[in-house]
Amino acid sequence: MFSKILIANRGEIALRVIRAARELGLNTVAVYSESDRNSLHTILADEKVCIGPSRAADSYLNIPNILGAAEQTKAEAIHPGYGFLAENPRFAEICESSGIIFIGPQPAMIKLMGNKSLARQEMRKSHLYILPGSNEVVQDLPEAKKIAKKMGYPVILKAAAGGGGKGMRIARTRAQLEEQFGLAQNEAKASFSDASLYVEKYLDNSRHIEIQVVGDKHGNVVALGERECSIQRKHQKIIEESPSPFVDDRLRKRMIKAAEDAARRIGYQSLGTFEFLVDGQERYYFMEANTRVQVEHPVTEMVYGVDLVKEQIRIAAGEKLSIKDDIGMIGHCLECRINAEDPVTFSPSPGTIDFMLLPGGHGIRVDSAAYQGWQIPPDYDSLVAKIIALAPTRPEAIRKMQTALEMTTIVGIKTNLPLHLAILADSDFAKGSYDTQFMERFQQKNGNNHK
Amino acid sequence: MDENKKIDYEEISKLVSFLEEKQLTEFELEVEGFKIKISRAVPQPVPQIKPASPNPGTQAEKAQPQAPAAPPVSQAPEEFHYITSPMVGTFYRAPNPTSPSFVEIGEEVKKGQTLCIIEAMKLMNEIESDVDGVVLEIYVENGKPVEYGQRLFAVQALAA
Repeated sequence: MFSKILIANRGEIALRVIRAARELGLNTVAVYSESDRNSLHTILADEKVCIGPSRAADSYLNIPNILGAAEQTKAEAIHPGYGFLAENPRFAEICESSGIIFIGPQPAMIKLMGNKSLARQEMRKSHLYILPGSNEVVQDLPEAKKIAKKMGYPVILKAAAGGGGKGMRIARTRAQLEEQFGLAQNEAKASFSDASLYVEKYLDNSRHIEIQVVGDKHGNVVALGERECSIQRKHQKIIEESPSPFVDDRLRKRMIKAAEDAARRIGYQSLGTFEFLVDGQERYYFMEANTRVQVEHPVTEMVYGVDLVKEQIRIAAGEKLSIKDDIGMIGHCLECRINAEDPVTFSPSPGTIDFMLLPGGHGIRVDSAAYQGWQIPPDYDSLVAKIIALAPTRPEAIRKMQTALEMTTIVGIKTNLPLHLAILADSDFAKGSYDTQFMERFQQKNGNNHK
Repeated sequence: MDENKKIDYEEISKLVSFLEEKQLTEFELEVEGFKIKISRAVPQPVPQIKPASPNPGTQAEKAQPQAPAAPPVSQAPEEFHYITSPMVGTFYRAPNPTSPSFVEIGEEVKKGQTLCIIEAMKLMNEIESDVDGVVLEIYVENGKPVEYGQRLFAVQALAA
């Protein structure tokens, strides 16, 4: 096992890793930008190194400074968290060549999964179903139209270098494709400095369901049951739950087996997530694999009673998988992402938290790096807290989450707490009858049809 | 020539201090066939060094172990120009262990002159002064790690 690790991230996920490391008896090094001088990860780590100014490109994405910090503090491994450098194969490679262990899969695996067409081909070989789509990036509109015509509308445009829902657009008709293609290209260019797009068949009334996989360096692989992530707006997840109200035991076993077999076949050696779209006939299609810890990993941890981040660190240190293949779910878990944003217009609301009361009590977990008096920097994402509720059944978990959110107070910034309460009170949500278009219908129903 | 021995280095430095203290620019002394003339060029802002940092050498030594990043004097910080580290790395005052340091406290430096080296990822990065001035403080010891934005030098900028 390592004695010291560096966390190349910020916010709640940096804190999540610091906690896991400390529980494992490891020393921690935080890296921080100038605007995160007073952020909790900077304060709570054993050591800290300033790696640059506010702009992420100059700090949390600054590979030389992050490696310099690891070298100076003699950290043996780097945990990348999610976002930033977490799925950058070059970073993983440089870590490797500098003699620092990257806490994640092998660089070649990150590269493979980061290339959407290669990943699809590889997963097809692993007998996973793939939605029809372009095998290579589509360069121009005529080519996109040709492919769309062949597989039929609706189609979805995805940024080749994408992630986090940016650069994704749905086209239901040829006219819409003409309109959306340029927009998606611009969005992809702005977000990832790469305008390349893929065209894929889009499934209406489908659900976004993902399977957690964990592999070690000794060839052991285990897959854990699903996270339901269909409550999303503009491809940004808002509420996640496990198990999915839509997945029965039979489907769960099939999906777990499919993901486990695929992960084993490609020799997956860390924490990872296989994302699927599931249609009304219980057919599941591989979308993409994320080679990192997910924001919503706590729901899996809660229903299975495991610690995925500790497991990820132990695996990186060469230890064998400790999660058993036969563990079962012990309840129902929901996670609400509390963001610093206007609940109606969804525009970000950075600022100082003047007063904050976070929920607690039996079955409630809060993953947050916020504190009273903290000034949320405007430079990064708007996630303030993940509130997680575990109860024996889904109705009880919903009631527990409602109680927790009703007892949450955040003053000084706007948050989407009211939005969460409204979704939890929605009759379709309560019935568990929803899909990825839930939020569009919900917003129409509730009269605030903001884009 | 025997008289020459009457005046030694210590006495000369005392005279120089006297000169500075009284803010004189020129001083001439003739004693028993021995003649000394000391003069100093005074660019406009230089006399201001005195109130800001009367004894930079000893002050730097005192300040270093406790608070390397703290400003040395609160009286006139706006007159100080700080050279900060543009990267995370190891601070070196000389190009190699056997050569003399690039700069010492009290030395005049030109814009573009190398002040130190920061080693990052096995690369030696020369850090240059971005002003003409006099080095007032050196905050970091040779061979110590530095982080982004950490103060390395305080320079009294000279008016162009």
